[in-house]
Amino acid sequence: MAAAATVYNPVGFDFSNQIRNNFLADRGIPLPKATSTGTTIVGCLFKDGIVLGADTRATEGEIVADKNCEKIHYITESIRCCGAGTAADTEFTTAMISSNMELHALSTGRKPRVVTAMTMLKQYLFRYQGHVGAALVLGGVDATGPHLFTIHPHGSTDKLPYVTMGSGSLAAMAVFEAQWKPSMTREEALDLVNAAISAGIFNDLGSGSNVDACVITATKTDMLRNFVKPNERVTKERTYGFRRGTTAFTKEEIRNLVVHEEIIGVRDDAMDVDGS
Amino acid sequence: MPQTRSFDPYTENGGTILAIAGQDFSVIAGDTRQSEGYSIQTRYAPKVFRLTDRAVLAVNGFAADGNMFVKKVKQRLEWYRHAHAKDMPLRAIARLIQTMLYAKRFFPYYVYNILGGIEEDGTGAVYSFDPVGSYEREACRAAGAAQSLVQPFLDNQIYFKNQVPAPGTTHPAYLSLPDVLSIVIDSFTSATERHIEVGDGLEIYIVFAKTRDLQDFETIRAKNVHLIQELTVAEDGERIFVLRRDLKKD
Amino acid sequence: MNSLVQRFDTNNALSEIKRTSAIIEEDGDNVSDLMWGSYGGFGNLATGIPKFNIPAVPDPSAFLRLHTDDHTDPSCRIKIQHGTTTLAFRFKGGVIVAVDSRATAGSYIASGTVKKVIEINPYLLGTMAGGAADCQYWETYLGIQCRLHELRNKERISVAAASKYLSNLVYSYKGMGLSMGTMICGWDKTGPQVYYVDSDGTRLKGDLFSVGSGSTFAYGVLDQGHHWDLSDEDAQELGRRSIYAAGHRDAFSGNTINLYHVKEDGWKFIGNYDVSKMHYEGPGDIPGAPGHGYGYSIRTAGKSSADPPTS
Repeated sequence: MAAAATVYNPVGFDFSNQIRNNFLADRGIPLPKATSTGTTIVGCLFKDGIVLGADTRATEGEIVADKNCEKIHYITESIRCCGAGTAADTEFTTAMISSNMELHALSTGRKPRVVTAMTMLKQYLFRYQGHVGAALVLGGVDATGPHLFTIHPHGSTDKLPYVTMGSGSLAAMAVFEAQWKPSMTREEALDLVNAAISAGIFNDLGSGSNVDACVITATKTDMLRNFVKPNERVTKERTYGFRRGTTAFTKEEIRNLVVHEEIIGVRDDAMDVDGS
Repeated sequence: MPQTRSFDPYTENGGTILAIAGQDFSVIAGDTRQSEGYSIQTRYAPKVFRLTDRAVLAVNGFAADGNMFVKKVKQRLEWYRHAHAKDMPLRAIARLIQTMLYAKRFFPYYVYNILGGIEEDGTGAVYSFDPVGSYEREACRAAGAAQSLVQPFLDNQIYFKNQVPAPGTTHPAYLSLPDVLSIVIDSFTSATERHIEVGDGLEIYIVFAKTRDLQDFETIRAKNVHLIQELTVAEDGERIFVLRRDLKKD
Repeated sequence: MNSLVQRFDTNNALSEIKRTSAIIEEDGDNVSDLMWGSYGGFGNLATGIPKFNIPAVPDPSAFLRLHTDDHTDPSCRIKIQHGTTTLAFRFKGGVIVAVDSRATAGSYIASGTVKKVIEINPYLLGTMAGGAADCQYWETYLGIQCRLHELRNKERISVAAASKYLSNLVYSYKGMGLSMGTMICGWDKTGPQVYYVDSDGTRLKGDLFSVGSGSTFAYGVLDQGHHWDLSDEDAQELGRRSIYAAGHRDAFSGNTINLYHVKEDGWKFIGNYDVSKMHYEGPGDIPGAPGHGYGYSIRTAGKSSADPPTS
């Protein structure tokens, strides 16, 4: 709040607008809506590892802000994290943990473990008491085997064989509860994840567009971006082109941005450039 | 500020309606999704209703109020029919709707109405209402959740706002039926893309004046034979057709 | 003594009741106000004054305000359209009535083509500001009452009486949440008249009024240009220019200007003018026009040091 401005901000969140924002909210000017992912995200355990799934719609209130956003974030080579809630919060939180996991792996000299990411995330989110609106599904395979966790914005976690989060989580969980079984094959797991995400896409208004999936096994990770696209836009009935001159204008001023120069040599010999 | 939390009779059911008046026809369309919050209540809840052979009413806002309002309007029209041995003319129906809405001025119907059809003089007409009865005859109007996405598009394509005509020409006063139908369909597919409460299905009612030649409509009908249904029986009066299409369901 | 007074006194409550019941019986065949519109056909089912449904809550007007008042709560559900800059003034040639045509619902421009001058009958005009439905509905009702007055009294209704009908009517709904600021303008036996009537029950006779969110802008132009001896063209130009000023500066006013002139034989519609066209090009080649656009930058183009003449 000090008037002395410094461009170097200290570590952590900057609360200097808090008092002003509260004042404005009391006067009837609410905070602008943050882009929220609405969302359906799922994770499920199968015979060889983990399959993560997510829809691709990002909403701003009732308007679709992004029809094809990526909700499966990279933590490490064999650990990925799906994010639901406030889009900025999930992006930055997962990026920060990913960076810290890399440093941790270099420091310990070992392949990073899923519980490490989970612990970092839960301690971070708990510290902010739920104000960081990130609801995450974290999954991966490490030296101890495949693990799947769900992390809530206040910092609580669950370790489960199949999880769903987001506004479409009920629709997706209904599918999981009916059809999940232990030791599925890769194809069965992908079909199940597709069915669960599709249930979210078609029955929840906050989720939509395409299905993204990510298959993580001990040997490799496959990122299947837009693995199913059930909502392609139909071709429009008409093309809406505008003839040049459609927009009215009152004044015209033309400036040449390309400057033509003609170089007239004054001396015969070339300029002495390299001083030799 | 007064808070009467114990009685909150209104909710919003989403959806969008629009109507465009042509020279001798009128097009009234609405999507069929009914939602509440993030859930879909039903994928098929019609919002556009035939009142008489020449009037079609589209309602949007709070579905319970909308459905009840349409029922009451239809009852009044039936009373009129029995008393006067003819259907009510369109501008009289518009005035009737104003008085019915204003009667609930102190406990409003949470409904945005658009009435479309053919006037007594054979021209296409669209009347739009606010929830307490203020109304106006227009050439086109969109209402509902996606009205701020669709109305500016209509302003540009129907009224040619912000468009300078090619030198030596003027903008046409009326658009043809195929153009109007394309604009309606594109409005809804675009609104579906960007608004979560719009989608599932589209119903387009087309009302034709008595004297109109239906040649251009027959070509459209031929291409969409299983999607078009006629609602009128007589062949010598005004005719109403319904065109149904799917919209994205996500 | 008291009973004598009671029998012959014409001002007490009892005689009031007797008089009103006499009027109701006088109407003979129980024809009520509901017989207009399509209640015709209901026959004997339609009786009495129009009834309004009120919600069964302890405070109905608070309920209405909670759901429809977007002044206190911009995110209220039911957005009622509001109308915005209107003006009327008297001068030697009659009454000039000028209005804009924008209707807003919250901050959304619901329409740019609203008719804010309501033609009550061929010699009376009413303007619309505040709630569009309230103005439209009650001024239509006023038109009916004026016609009935004509039929009963074989004489046109005076502007004073017409405005009083309206103001008494809205006064009976005072506090219920009606929003209406209207000017009743006409030319009757006593000359041109303008009365301002609003939903609080105010009724004022005056020479010059402007009503609505843009009224302050209109007053600025109107007050400096108004005098009794204006010519017809100059008066029309003043009305047009004032609404243009309001439409230009007020966010809730604009789109087009509708101009009317009330003369001894009735009102005449002068024209509809687009506000942006007025800004750049002016009203064109009509009597009273200044010959150039109204906008400040248009009028002062090439006349200041910031924008010197291109000589």
